[in-house]
Amino acid sequence: MSREISIDPITRLEGHGKIQIFLDDDGAVEDCYFQIPELRGFERFVEGRPIEELPRIVTRICGVCPASHHMASAKAVDGCFGGQVAPLAHKLRDMYYHAHFIHSHTAHFYALAAPDFVCGPDSDPAQRNILGLVAKVGLEIGGKVIEARSQAQRIQQIIGGRTTHLVWCIPGGVSKGLKAEELEEIRPLVANLYEFTQFSLQLFRDIVLGNEGYVDLILNGPYTLDLHNMGLVDENLAPNFYDGQVRVVDCEGQEICRYSEHEYADHVAEHVEPWTYLKFPYLKQRGWQGFVEGKDSPLYTATPLSRLNVAERMATPKAQEAYEEMFTTLGGRPCKALLASHWARLVEMVQNAEMLQMYCDDPEITSEEFRVIPDKITGEGIGIVEAMRGTLTHHYTCDENGICTSANLIVGTTNNNAAIHMVTKKVASTMIKPGVEPDQGILNLVEMAFRSFDPCYSCATHSLPGKMPLEVAIVQGGETVRTFQRGIGRR
Amino acid sequence: MQATTTVIGMGNPILSDDSVGVRLAHDVGLAFCGRTDVLVVEECSVGGLNMLDYLEGFERAVVLDAIHTKGGTPGTCYRFTAADLRETTNLCNVHDANFATALALGRSLGMTLPEDSDIHVFAVEIVDDLTFGTELTPLVARRYPACLHRVLRGLKSLLDTSPAPVT
Repeated sequence: MSREISIDPITRLEGHGKIQIFLDDDGAVEDCYFQIPELRGFERFVEGRPIEELPRIVTRICGVCPASHHMASAKAVDGCFGGQVAPLAHKLRDMYYHAHFIHSHTAHFYALAAPDFVCGPDSDPAQRNILGLVAKVGLEIGGKVIEARSQAQRIQQIIGGRTTHLVWCIPGGVSKGLKAEELEEIRPLVANLYEFTQFSLQLFRDIVLGNEGYVDLILNGPYTLDLHNMGLVDENLAPNFYDGQVRVVDCEGQEICRYSEHEYADHVAEHVEPWTYLKFPYLKQRGWQGFVEGKDSPLYTATPLSRLNVAERMATPKAQEAYEEMFTTLGGRPCKALLASHWARLVEMVQNAEMLQMYCDDPEITSEEFRVIPDKITGEGIGIVEAMRGTLTHHYTCDENGICTSANLIVGTTNNNAAIHMVTKKVASTMIKPGVEPDQGILNLVEMAFRSFDPCYSCATHSLPGKMPLEVAIVQGGETVRTFQRGIGRR
Repeated sequence: MQATTTVIGMGNPILSDDSVGVRLAHDVGLAFCGRTDVLVVEECSVGGLNMLDYLEGFERAVVLDAIHTKGGTPGTCYRFTAADLRETTNLCNVHDANFATALALGRSLGMTLPEDSDIHVFAVEIVDDLTFGTELTPLVARRYPACLHRVLRGLKSLLDTSPAPVT
């Protein structure tokens, strides 16, 4: 008799998601669906509003990556006003964004990823968190995490005035520059963040690379997919998080395409499935072929690992060293081991810190030409940035009065929707076998598959859940025969 | 006089009923305008470790938020403390540590945070926090004045009593 396992909602996933695993009569995985059961309708909400308001509104799409939406939106709005932006504004935006990356990557690595490796993937869920991590490796690390996160937050606040609901980017530039005394406050914070990135890399070496079992899990476990890679690169083909061209490299390392923001619709299309509200982007010129891997597949990932896979080098020296160490250890580039995204985040953080150092030493950074006042409305703009969890696209049109007539967003996690669906099924099929009852450890191994993507679906949903944060139900013959519950809800 | 109590409005002002905590905080700010012992944060949309920044240094916190409970009556205002929140997926977001974990971590690191019994949550049962919009749904809007009354009365009562010494 067939059975169904549901994981709903998924722990540590921003927003609401649900995994349903269908078992056949023998208890083997027959199919697996990763569903997003809600429709958010943000794009329609902004139609009819003044286009220059959008960067201020989109920060409320999501409490996790508000700066990513703010930056992509600002670039799209710049385009709607003719595209002229003060060069200093680009530098300041980029500087802000590097601090935002460090802040976000720190939270993900220490609160979500590291506990799986420090405490063990099959450890008690109550212990598999940052508290468990601190208990294992020492209180000092917890203090460093809190301090680094706080310092990255402070840098954002100094540069942009706010950390979450930015009102800083405006058409043609930014609303405030960076004063000399503010720069002096930032310098020591940046120095500490750089040290923190080196500390984090060493911690990864000690904890993960020092454990043969974990290295084997990363490289030889079921957490691999033969899909292509997407990411923004600069003119030297190094990762760029705020600007650049989108590069797509196939699963064998060959460039498929490289395009500018205004060309995105020629290269990416979205497929709709009836069982989820979230679309499945794919490479348009290859056409939708279903959930297939391989060199001819139209599917790609856009993750930290993808960004390093498409990059020929890093933009800064210490990040380059970390990049070379990573790919040497992992057996070359491109790397298909999805769990290596955790490592890639740490490599990216090194570049973030070094770029912050570079901006601190830029004599122009405190000058006052931080805005060009637009003098025309051209009616269409596209902004692409790298959100922490993938390539983020905002595409707007407006009328001659600057009123928004359409908006289209392809958010970071959406790019990875097909990959998340596929790897979840792959891991579930590997871990759940006939005669083996899925326990918390096995289900966490399934969760680790999609957690490597740092997925985010919420767009700011945040009400208290009022239910178990994770419930896994095994249904047999229409009746629930066993449940797993994780965490304790309020009521 | 330095503020010893912080009032935090949690929510998203453009996500229908999700805005109820932000609205309450705004009205609390108006009602308690001039009191130097209270700091009102009208709009907070962060969670996890970031919440520590909002709580550090205060003896008491009052969190105003939306809540979904199974079978709950829309517009009902619940009250509880962080001592009841042994674990929840999100007080705001679940990208990082949950609220209870963040508090435990902060305390273990020696941060000055209110005791669980001095973190008071007023949560309004809502209908819709998934649809983008700037208005409350009718059922919640109808009960909003009663919710505000309960929050104001509760806050006044709290301010008349001393919180536990900070840890």
